[in-house]
Amino acid sequence: MARSTNDEKQPGFIRRIWNAFWSPSGVLSLGFLIIAGFLAGILFWGGFHWALEETNNEEFCISCHTMSKNFDEYTETVHYNNHSGVRATCPDCHVPHEWQHKVKAKIMASKDLFHEIIGTIDTDEKYEEHRLHMASLVWEKMKKSDSRECRNCHAFEYMDFTIQETRAAKDHQLAIDEGKTCIDCHQGIAHGLPAGYLEEYRSIIEALESGEGVELQKSSLLDMGPATEALKSFLNGKTE
Amino acid sequence: MLNMLDILGTIAGNVLSLPGILGLALGMMTRNLLVAAILGGLVGVAEPFIFAGFDASKVETIDLVIAIAVGVVAGCIGRAIRVKGATV
Repeated sequence: MARSTNDEKQPGFIRRIWNAFWSPSGVLSLGFLIIAGFLAGILFWGGFHWALEETNNEEFCISCHTMSKNFDEYTETVHYNNHSGVRATCPDCHVPHEWQHKVKAKIMASKDLFHEIIGTIDTDEKYEEHRLHMASLVWEKMKKSDSRECRNCHAFEYMDFTIQETRAAKDHQLAIDEGKTCIDCHQGIAHGLPAGYLEEYRSIIEALESGEGVELQKSSLLDMGPATEALKSFLNGKTE
Repeated sequence: MLNMLDILGTIAGNVLSLPGILGLALGMMTRNLLVAAILGGLVGVAEPFIFAGFDASKVETIDLVIAIAVGVVAGCIGRAIRVKGATV
């Protein structure tokens, strides 16, 4: 057989992989490919879900230094310690159960890693400085979702007002009548409240009701003093 | 920055949810680009309503738009896979 291919240029490694990937299988049956693909899918999806759940527990959340202060506050609340021993851990309140919303929350949590690295709230002073802003973000999210994460455990439909305190029963009935959501009254249920929180929460409600974007409290996490300047100069240096 | 993360998170959620996966699968069932895009788009329309418990008032416009866009793109990619990887 003539070896005319000697004069032709051999395709590169990536091109050969690409061609092989899109070529029909000459040795494997359709059934084999379907079963193998199904098993590979189970392994991949199981592994992906397992990895996601590994980032969805209290140990993982508090492994960051910046989480120590709000975790300490949480340990003094009823969601950590109570007569029944039932607990709500970090992801129970901060990570939605529904797949779509959970993935979104995980993507958005990447900013927490960034701020952990640059130390935005690594001291008590910095934490207090940013507390209202951080709380505002959570309140806005909960208001917009109708306190979805609270309702994973709490539901008006199953509350027995006759065994609640009179004030609680009255306020819960009022909340049903006026269509309020959990976070409307229960800010600071698991973490300390910053000064001026009521005004801030009111401004969130007004902005949401008017359909405008929420203008959050001005101590934005994007304004991080020296860290911002360092980041800006780094980026400028890259682009110049 | 937060709004950008919000949008990226919504896109990622849709890629790994019904519009991305079912849209891709439906796109792989046809060689017609328009049909693939429409099938993906329909999944994109349905998905936010399913997650909102079929309560239209809980569906945000931006979520709906992103879901449809992801569905359409996934459908088109599925169609491209069909054309490239199948002889029928």
